[in-house]
Amino acid sequence: MSQVQVESEFPIKKNLARRTRLSRIKNQCIRFISTQRIGLISALFIILVIIVAISAPVIAPFDPVEQNREAFLAAPDVQHLMGTDDLGRDVFSRIIYGARISLLVGFATVIISIILGTIIGMISGFFGGVVDMIIQRVMDSIMAIPALILALFIAALLGPAVKNVIIALVIIEIPRFARIVRGEMMRIRETNYVEASRSVGANALRIIMRHGLPNMMAPIIVMASLAFGQTIIAEASLSFLGIGTPPPNPSWGLMLSNASRYMESAPWLVFFPGVALSLLVLAFNLLGDALRDFLDPKLSS
Amino acid sequence: MVEYIVRRLIYGVLVLLLMVTFVFVVMRAVPGDIVTLQLADSGASEEQIEVLEAELGLDKSIMAQLGAWIKGVVQGDLGTSLWSGLPVTEIIKERIPITLQLSIMSIILATLIGIPIGVISAVKHNSFVDHLLRITSVGGLSIPNFWLGLILLTGLALLFNWIPPLGFQSFFENPIVNLQQMILPAICLAITLSASIVRMTRSAVLEVLHSDFIRTIRSKGAKERVVIYKHALRNSLVSVITLIGLQVGYLLGGTVVLESIFSLPGLGSLIFETVSARDYPVIQAAVLIFGAMFLLVNLVVDVMYGWVDPRIRNS
Repeated sequence: MSQVQVESEFPIKKNLARRTRLSRIKNQCIRFISTQRIGLISALFIILVIIVAISAPVIAPFDPVEQNREAFLAAPDVQHLMGTDDLGRDVFSRIIYGARISLLVGFATVIISIILGTIIGMISGFFGGVVDMIIQRVMDSIMAIPALILALFIAALLGPAVKNVIIALVIIEIPRFARIVRGEMMRIRETNYVEASRSVGANALRIIMRHGLPNMMAPIIVMASLAFGQTIIAEASLSFLGIGTPPPNPSWGLMLSNASRYMESAPWLVFFPGVALSLLVLAFNLLGDALRDFLDPKLSS
Repeated sequence: MVEYIVRRLIYGVLVLLLMVTFVFVVMRAVPGDIVTLQLADSGASEEQIEVLEAELGLDKSIMAQLGAWIKGVVQGDLGTSLWSGLPVTEIIKERIPITLQLSIMSIILATLIGIPIGVISAVKHNSFVDHLLRITSVGGLSIPNFWLGLILLTGLALLFNWIPPLGFQSFFENPIVNLQQMILPAICLAITLSASIVRMTRSAVLEVLHSDFIRTIRSKGAKERVVIYKHALRNSLVSVITLIGLQVGYLLGGTVVLESIFSLPGLGSLIFETVSARDYPVIQAAVLIFGAMFLLVNLVVDVMYGWVDPRIRNS
């Protein structure tokens, strides 16, 4: 019986491998959904925000930059759910459009940092020696500057633009990803399966792609989710200081910076963008925690 | 131990050197410098620009400028501000105490809030209280501290008609006014920090509570209070202290935004003011000081391990 099975499996080995991988991912997802309720809710919330951000022109009742001279600093009512700002712009619409900037900066920064951080960490961890030493000293010296101060420094030098915010935040995040990847790579390098793979003549690239990457996805995913939250806060902080997203773009940080001048006359301007910001960051942090519990039970208590 | 400290210090200096070089080169590689900023609209001729550049020492190569600057730093001279012409040492000396006071107040507040809550959360493991505290602490991590600052200012102004006194005064000039000005930003910084302290304390205490020696102590009939405070908490402190050391980077970064909201003339707001003005010597010095503070705190943390944990002290 088993003899027959082995024979029939052989020609479709590749297909089968892909199928088992797919079904494993499916099983993982089902297990995540059933065990991590808070994580699931957070993920759904994030998906909702993404959908709202993409379909902003359809959902938003007003143009986010359109000024309305009849309604300066109007309190929240039926027409303007979250009131209007000092130029009569609808806060609700601006918050919906603002999600685009937060998500754009978040996704761009995290994805670019993962790619660059992984490449640097892999090189450092796989080759070791002098290469590793030089890379690590450079990473250490970047991390020795408090993150927000480095971001402020770079963003202020480059001038206010979304692109420059992303550059500044990527420079901050790269060493953090590189450090994790390096540690994982050094651990994986010493395992038996890598030694076996090396002994049958696999080259560095194959070992990294075939054994390195798949085995370090868990810490990278957890780190990415937490980095998301930090990145979104950092973007808001830079915009708040006036060196992030340039006006009149509806960035949440910029809206808060503007609101700080009308704290007493129009407190809703301070309230709503901050709630939006906190909720999105909270969702990413909770998702990160859930992923950590799920992917690496050793790390959680 | 002494050898270890010396080795760490040398390594720290190396990292600072690299860091300063990075800042130095990036700053000069980006288009726009103080000369063009100052003479932007005056229609100055090439010659005038060259004269001013030579005056400020900006005509030499980057490496020559870097060498000259480092030589000055070693001798305790941080240069002079390109805008105000004041010695950078003086400017920094005026600003450091504010940022230091703010950081220290935040760390003390965060520890006072964070450690007891973390212990309660661990002791009441998996209870309703624990879940509530855990969710609150993730919430604390997610609220941007500058928003917290704005909310506190707005709330106090609307509800009690109170705003912090204007015009900064140092603690030695007028402690009451000073504390009124410092307490709100300190609370904002402390809340995020205490949230991470809660999380770390909780997991560290839980881990220790599950270890064999705690079972032994309990079986000897020790009081629960003694078990928790004398044994579990004490053994968890190493990880909590490490966390605080690592979070100092976040704390120092946070001072920039909070100093700007609460108009405190600290080191953070100095960086913010001078980066856009391209006042190279001041920025370099401020970044250097921030880096040095961060590295020093982490060195102190490592030394404190020995003090908290005799096993490390004696090895």
